[in-house]
Amino acid sequence: MNFKLTDEQMEIKRAAREFAEKEFTPELALEYDRKEEFPLELYRKAAKLGFTSMRIPEEYGGQGYGVLEECLVVEEFCRVDPGLGVAVSLGNLMVPDVLLKHGTEKQKEKYIPPLAKGEKIAAAAFTEPEHGSDITRLDTTAVKVGNEWVINGSKQFITNASIADTFIILCQTDPNAMPPHRGQSLFLVEKNTSGLEATKLQGKMGIRPCVTGSLALSDLHVPEENLVGELNKGFYYALELFDGTRITVAAQAVGIAQGAFEKALAYAKTRKQFGQPIINFQGVSFKLAEMSMKIEAARLLTYKAAWIYDHEKPSPAATSMAKAYASRIAMEVTDEAIQIFGGYGYLADYHVERFHRCAKITEIYEGTSEIQKLTIVNFLQKQP
Amino acid sequence: MDIIVCVKHVPETAEAELKIDATGKGIEKAGLVFDINEWDDYALEEAVRIKEKFGGTVTAITVGAEDSDSTLRKCLARGADKAIRLTDPKFIGSDAYATAKILYSVIKNMHFDLILTGAQAGDDGSAVVGPVLAELLGIPHATMVKKIEWGEGKAIVNRELEGGLEERLEVKLPALFTVQTGINEPRYVSIMGIRRAMQKEIKVMGLADIGLNENEVGEAGSWLFIEKLYVPPVEKQAEFLTGSPDEIASKIVEILKSRGLV
Amino acid sequence: MAEIFVLAEHRQGQLRDITFEMLTKARETAEKANADLTAVLLGKNIKEHAKILSEYSKKVLLVEDDKLENFNSDAYQKVLTYLIKEHKPTLTIIGHTSYGVELAPRLAAALNIPLATDCLDFGFEGERFTVTRQMYGGKVNVKAALRKAESYMVTVRQAAFQAQKPLVPLNGQVEEIKAPLTEEITSKRFLEYVLPPPGGVDITAASVLVGIGRGVKDQSNIPLMEELAKSLGGVLACSRPIVDKGWLPSDRQVGTSGKTVKPKLYIALGISGAFQHVLGMKNSDLIIAVNKDPKAPIFSFSDYGVVEDLFKIVPALKNKINESKAQKTP
Repeated sequence: MNFKLTDEQMEIKRAAREFAEKEFTPELALEYDRKEEFPLELYRKAAKLGFTSMRIPEEYGGQGYGVLEECLVVEEFCRVDPGLGVAVSLGNLMVPDVLLKHGTEKQKEKYIPPLAKGEKIAAAAFTEPEHGSDITRLDTTAVKVGNEWVINGSKQFITNASIADTFIILCQTDPNAMPPHRGQSLFLVEKNTSGLEATKLQGKMGIRPCVTGSLALSDLHVPEENLVGELNKGFYYALELFDGTRITVAAQAVGIAQGAFEKALAYAKTRKQFGQPIINFQGVSFKLAEMSMKIEAARLLTYKAAWIYDHEKPSPAATSMAKAYASRIAMEVTDEAIQIFGGYGYLADYHVERFHRCAKITEIYEGTSEIQKLTIVNFLQKQP
Repeated sequence: MDIIVCVKHVPETAEAELKIDATGKGIEKAGLVFDINEWDDYALEEAVRIKEKFGGTVTAITVGAEDSDSTLRKCLARGADKAIRLTDPKFIGSDAYATAKILYSVIKNMHFDLILTGAQAGDDGSAVVGPVLAELLGIPHATMVKKIEWGEGKAIVNRELEGGLEERLEVKLPALFTVQTGINEPRYVSIMGIRRAMQKEIKVMGLADIGLNENEVGEAGSWLFIEKLYVPPVEKQAEFLTGSPDEIASKIVEILKSRGLV
Repeated sequence: MAEIFVLAEHRQGQLRDITFEMLTKARETAEKANADLTAVLLGKNIKEHAKILSEYSKKVLLVEDDKLENFNSDAYQKVLTYLIKEHKPTLTIIGHTSYGVELAPRLAAALNIPLATDCLDFGFEGERFTVTRQMYGGKVNVKAALRKAESYMVTVRQAAFQAQKPLVPLNGQVEEIKAPLTEEITSKRFLEYVLPPPGGVDITAASVLVGIGRGVKDQSNIPLMEELAKSLGGVLACSRPIVDKGWLPSDRQVGTSGKTVKPKLYIALGISGAFQHVLGMKNSDLIIAVNKDPKAPIFSFSDYGVVEDLFKIVPALKNKINESKAQKTP
């Protein structure tokens, strides 16, 4: 048993912190929160330093680390600013991961290095307007015509939809499969393909620099070689991806909570009421104690899930526990942080309200907290 | 070109509130973040840029406790090839002069074409180690360097003088330069750099390895002994304006109005 | 009789202020220690300087040589080594300037004379020689003692002492000494002075300056600061880190390595107040400082202080100023 990060992991954490603290300035964070735009320059800068390709092997231009190291970067980024932090760390979301596991050598060589280097942006399109938590059935279909697949349908809440260069799209390829999810497949699609139309969604509650959109797919032709892995295995590939990405969402939540906590702590030490710093009042100090306890517990769950993923067989239960718990306490901690700031906390310029708005998404995307609990229950039922 | 960079692991105090510790001779270190001395950061960057241009090696060297490793690892991650930490209980209490002697005892046995240090350290602000080290090694030096150009067996450096003035000097190599901030823009530590750094070893040497007598190091070998630290006396104290940002702004405007400045 | 050396500093035909500051402090030290005060002057065609120095000291050691035309620490070291060995002064005082920093540590090491640099104060206390200096960018003062020796050396911070003429000129005797510089100095050669590039803005001429420091955090915040300066009819100035980062040109820098300014109003935003900066602006008519750290040294040099995040104060202040202007011009 050893709870210490290695020297190397400490260095990674420090490097990520230094980069984020210098680059994600409060003013930039406010600006991007306001304009809801992807911070492309920042993404490229972070990518050049290796922060966005932690889990991609060196041979494809990545860093060759595991989920734990990726989590350290994500946590530090979100600690400084959740909006910019999430946006930058999700620039090459899922595509390299699925190709590494199931792609052909040709696909890997073509698509992964530009994503690793931040030259390109990726999007993974699973969710549909009618199918959110339940992707076991899809309305988007892919039909084989000659040596091409023709895709029709629509996708919703897709991260990077309007800016991505490379998409993976989950489609129903066997309409008669029972259960239906045994008839789903993943396809690689490049932007500017005729029949692919992306629309940016505006007005998200939080993580506003991370752009989200919908996809309209009409008679979209993709060559046969763009099928990822085996036909009709897409659903299983998608679930597999969640095992990793859900841990990084837990790391986002830990970082968001930590950032808000540090702001509240600093404020409580300097803000004076009734002639003394408000941290001298138990009503405030106990809140801070509770916040730090929760963050530490969430961090340990997250690091443990990451460690299991890196060293053993991925454990969906450990992952779901980390994600559900960390996202919950991120909501609680950021809420209390606003409370400690009082009226000022309600103002954008004091930043904690943004942390609170950003925290909410961690309870929703990559499987809602309810879905995480179902996974945990599923695991519990199998226990002797 | 083989370059040696002398670095120091110091607390970041620019934005921290400092407290004097119980001994009265130091500050409370708890809660302070330690990092590479700001001037050394520029020196390291300059060394790495020279190496990238001309080839050769960069060796980072420090006198300090075990926690200095994080500064050395940062140097390795940013492009240094080797790192040496000089650590011994007997080194504790060394002033700038004793530190220069310790560095000299190791560097004299190494090959180098150039030595870079920061112009001063952010903690003691002595600006002594570099020139003393140059004297002990018997090589030319220049301090507060803002620009380096290269010639055959020599360098042309710009030194910072007062009031925005600079002077250009021609200095024979091998030489030692102390680097002023702003000479370059230090790069970030990259993940690739950390990966490379982890494959490199930090060489640790103590008093016995460097062939110095214990009277030459620590307090015994120093020129200067700290007797006490204290908060600087206030010559004049500002009148503090308090309230909400708007209230403060109104007060400032009133002051400016009363003086006809608005 | 014991002797105290002061190394006179001059450049481009001018004796520098630090010289008179050192001589003033040295005179007091010499009186207390019952020692003679000697000014040491190295250069070429500087007899005029020697005459001035003779009013401030008991003796002027004048060394003139072609090789001393421009400051070169290697040449100075050779001459001073000779003079110190010859005269055995109990104390040698040098300015903590770019010249002193280049010269003193190496000279002290060569002669094994204990040295303390950047001193704010110093003196003999019985058997001991003690100094006052600073650490951590001026946040802490240090009282320290030098190792007991026959001879000591200090470098003195600029403006640490106020220069005063002796009530009665000392009429020191000028002693010309032949430079012990037989060989050419080849290790290091002076080439030329480099003047700062002519800038668009002369901050020394502005009556209102908004000085920005590290606390401004990011280049993208500079326009906001510029707007505040404009609303006051002033211009933007800065401390060293801002120039180092390339956010403002070097002609905007206030301090020892930049300009010395004396505007009617100086607003210091996010400037901690390192002495290098303070020396350049402390004589402004009205100084208002905004800094998050209540213990920032800048508050000791300001008329008014605000302990707050400058990003909260600046927009509010800008608005209030504009409001007040709007009232005036209906």
